[in-house]
Amino acid sequence: MDSMTARVPATAKTKRRRKGIRRSLPEKVFDVCNYTLFALIGLSTLLPFVNLLAKSLSSEEAVVAGRVNLLPIDLQFGTYRYVLQDDAFLGALRVSVLLTLLGTACSLLVTALTAYPLSKPRLVGRKWLLLLFIFTMLFSGGLIPTYLLMHNLHLVNTLPVLFLPSMINVFNMLVIKNYYEGLPDSLEESAKLDGAGHIRILFSIYLPLSLPVLATIALFFAVAFWNDYFNAMIYISDPGLKPLQLFLKELLVSSSDFLRNATLNPDQALNTAPQSIQAASILLATVPILIVYPFLQKYFVKGVLVGSVKE
Amino acid sequence: MTDRNPNSAIAPRPNRRSVWKNIRADRELYLLLLPGIAVLLLFKYTPMYGILIAFKDYNIFDGMAGSPWVGTENFRKLFESDDFLLVLRNTIEISLLKLVFLFPLPIIAAILLHELRQMTYRKTVQTVIYLPHFLSWIIISGLFIDLLSINGGLVNKFLGQFGIEPIPFFLSNDYFRSVLVTTAGWKETGWSTIVYLAAFSTIDPGLYEAARMDGAGRWKQIWHITLPGISPIIVLMLILRLGSMFTGDTEQILAMYNSTVYKSSDIIGTYVYRMGLGKQEYSFTTAVGLFESVIGFVLIISGNYLSRKYLRRGIW
Amino acid sequence: MIGKIAAITLAGALTLSLAACSGKSDKESSGSGKPELKMLIQYGRFDPNEDYTAKAITRLTGYPVKYDMLPAEEADQKLNLLVANKEPYDLMKLSAPQFYNLASSGALEPLDDLIDKNGPNIKNAISDASWESAKLDGKIYGIPETGSGIAVSEELVVRQDWLDELGLKMPTNPDELYTVLKTIKEKKNVIPLTASKDAVSSLLGDIAAAFGVTTDWVDQNGTLVHQVETPQMKEYLTYMNKLYTEGLLDTELPLNTAAKMMEKFANGQAAMFKLAWYNAPSAINALTKADPNAKAALVPFLKDKSGKATVYAVTGTSWYAVVPKYAKHKEDAVKLLDAKLSPDIFKEMSIGQEGVHYEVKDGKYYPILPKFTDDLNNASNYMTGVDETKYPDYWQARVRKDPTLQSYFEQMQANSEGLVVTDPIALAPPIPQVAENKLNLLQFQLDEMLNFITGTEPLSDYDKFVAKWKEQGGADMTAGANEWYKSSKK
Repeated sequence: MDSMTARVPATAKTKRRRKGIRRSLPEKVFDVCNYTLFALIGLSTLLPFVNLLAKSLSSEEAVVAGRVNLLPIDLQFGTYRYVLQDDAFLGALRVSVLLTLLGTACSLLVTALTAYPLSKPRLVGRKWLLLLFIFTMLFSGGLIPTYLLMHNLHLVNTLPVLFLPSMINVFNMLVIKNYYEGLPDSLEESAKLDGAGHIRILFSIYLPLSLPVLATIALFFAVAFWNDYFNAMIYISDPGLKPLQLFLKELLVSSSDFLRNATLNPDQALNTAPQSIQAASILLATVPILIVYPFLQKYFVKGVLVGSVKE
Repeated sequence: MTDRNPNSAIAPRPNRRSVWKNIRADRELYLLLLPGIAVLLLFKYTPMYGILIAFKDYNIFDGMAGSPWVGTENFRKLFESDDFLLVLRNTIEISLLKLVFLFPLPIIAAILLHELRQMTYRKTVQTVIYLPHFLSWIIISGLFIDLLSINGGLVNKFLGQFGIEPIPFFLSNDYFRSVLVTTAGWKETGWSTIVYLAAFSTIDPGLYEAARMDGAGRWKQIWHITLPGISPIIVLMLILRLGSMFTGDTEQILAMYNSTVYKSSDIIGTYVYRMGLGKQEYSFTTAVGLFESVIGFVLIISGNYLSRKYLRRGIW
Repeated sequence: MIGKIAAITLAGALTLSLAACSGKSDKESSGSGKPELKMLIQYGRFDPNEDYTAKAITRLTGYPVKYDMLPAEEADQKLNLLVANKEPYDLMKLSAPQFYNLASSGALEPLDDLIDKNGPNIKNAISDASWESAKLDGKIYGIPETGSGIAVSEELVVRQDWLDELGLKMPTNPDELYTVLKTIKEKKNVIPLTASKDAVSSLLGDIAAAFGVTTDWVDQNGTLVHQVETPQMKEYLTYMNKLYTEGLLDTELPLNTAAKMMEKFANGQAAMFKLAWYNAPSAINALTKADPNAKAALVPFLKDKSGKATVYAVTGTSWYAVVPKYAKHKEDAVKLLDAKLSPDIFKEMSIGQEGVHYEVKDGKYYPILPKFTDDLNNASNYMTGVDETKYPDYWQARVRKDPTLQSYFEQMQANSEGLVVTDPIALAPPIPQVAENKLNLLQFQLDEMLNFITGTEPLSDYDKFVAKWKEQGGADMTAGANEWYKSSKK
């Protein structure tokens, strides 16, 4: 894989580009506006997280009174010590990491395999097969029959129940298929002349050339598995198998919901998590998945693909 | 519009003998389909009989077989309820607003990002603007309520500088929909650019260089190279977006609305949620879901048809 | 390389799923003759099998119990799936709507005979009135749990320092309240009164009570009428609408969460709100930390036109302990329930051991911290029926763990003494028409009340709302409530 990217003379190309451009005034104005625009947008999307960070580092009294904006008040680190020492949190983190790794790997493989034949227009029955897949984007049997099925397959309360059913994601499959269709037909034809079968063509030519889209879809899968709490809520009751988002959901739900019904159950209202701990947990549950994106970004670099395909 | 793959539009209709020949020749293709089809059949189609619940008076303890058939009773209940027309109109209007304003945004954002030449800056921005995708609607709702508050919210303070009276964004049927559209844009635009960013890598950099040689400016390059290059994925996204026109907004609206803006923002999903509180209405909710799915499916099929007719490209 | 990764992950997934499947064999405890029981409890933020109380129950009763929890959201959905699949639970702890739902669909075991045979302690602990709430068609389907016996949990709280500064007296009725709010608005330029959309009680409570809107149902000449149909409700809404339009009631009332409402009070943006005693430590500490000169005080319950104050208190059964029809160990399940209600075991389950978890000072139970909180914080999740005479005393140890908490709790109870009214159907068994319509009609009612208060809809449309309310199930609900009410008086 690495040899493929290395083949692109990226540095040479960018140098050439820089030299080649003589920018006109309107283009300079455009650039200034563009940079400023994204600085503003970026600020607006970053500030909520700064606020969460500040809350998680402030005293509970300051948070309850809504006095914390972008800087912590009465700086303390006790919340992080508390959350990071919580066995339930750490256990949930482990489950989430395992689920995300396993789920992404399996789903990416199955989805990328499925997309290949469906990207070939001459595949007999292609239209009906595609409709068979697309149908499931809209129609489903609902929760009850699905739960029964999982129960009969003995999947309830196991980790695989959280990723086996989503191994084929039609949306992602269509995105990959779309990408395959954009690759030149000549690739397949020349490989065929060399006597390669479809499976070899897929693994040795299509997949390596599709790294940008595979990275994208890997990210989609990873984020989906990381963020999923609904399936866990329905299928998992063993506390040792609860993923992080379910843990987080319960931490946050219990405070607002029990307040609503507190007349019935004051005990639970007394046991709600302080807001500073909620803030710390949200951050700690989000940061691991945020790190994935910058890591995948290098696959989006412009020109990797066609530059290397060119005969 | 460039079409790199003329075959994708309409394949010639093969005669029967060559059909079998084709299948045999392509047996490896079918082999590759196998895992995907197996997962699909087992996990999606096996439980599909659950759709029938919409036509029954379903009691979970009696099960499928034990519950009586009621025909289209559940659909009639939906269509004949007092607020159905209002709720249907809101659903369609909010979806259309979002389609018109929010569908182009990630495309524009992706192209503008693409024009940022400083790589570190570009990568940082990309990473930062996709952050809100990870916040729940409840948190975002709280955030914007503060921001748009009439008691010292930043936006109203700003408007106050120009002598504008405080606007109760969350409490006004005139403004609430714009709040819905704006917050959805803020939350998902950055995330949605990703799929387009990947598509840029299919564009041959040689094209840009050739264009520059010919003296084409940035706008011309965007218009004649970038946009056509990512048009296949734009078409795909648009068709798929049509399918979720009726269902996408429930979670957001449930987290953000209140009774004073029901008139402008109560949609099918939120309405059914409130009516079903404390009840066991499996059949009714299944019927509503089926209604939404059928419409979504019809929209996707028509979208694909139109796209093939006018753009000569579609999902199938 | 991709192929290798795929092979490894697939193999990994397979072994994992196999391991997960094989780990699920039924355990039967050997020796003592007491089987392991499986119990489903409500959601709580702790590991139900590692908790002190769980272990104490096994130690004291000899029954090993494996606990599962319902999820925090979608609990009803999950419960239905579990029951429809006949998951082998021997015991479940259910909320009132869940109880009605399962009992009426025939998923629960009638307990009359089992209790007669195995339940002497159960019979002693639970009052006849409570038993009524657990009956359906004359049969008992669960052990009713009435809770801690607390009557009143909320009361208006005001910035006493501001009242003093402005020379205002504590308001005692709606008219005086209006004057106080108006003066605060003019002189301090803050939100005089804030409230939240989250709590049902933020629209129904003190101020409503001063207009005669208290219980859900009102007896008019022997017939029950729902509060939405009473003229008092309209009077109350007119008053609140006046407060709202004059800016005396928080304009953002429909948006405020409970946390937001507390925030506004704690940072000096608002002068008055309805405080629940369990929020007192957090709210009051935040207030004094933000402004050391701030002083909060409870507003005594407001009096109505005739000079009488009333406080509505939610009473009745909060939880039910039930045995599903398909349970494997029905008799042992009831024996366990009985053992948990034997006086000594029940006391230890509630407040732990004397000298370790609690001490007795002037006849009251005081917690020993932090041991009490560490071990017994989640004890009430394991309760399956309570000793109705003793539990309120035991339970109050919980509010004595913090002086602010204790002081607000005790003041509220003192202020409401003798003023409490309860709903005429609080002790009724589940009434089908009420159970089915109650929640969504309540939502509808609160939404509409909010619209009338904020002026989104004019009060002249109130009768239209009542007509729609009746049509959507209100009429059914009223008929059902009255049917029971008349039969209960015979």
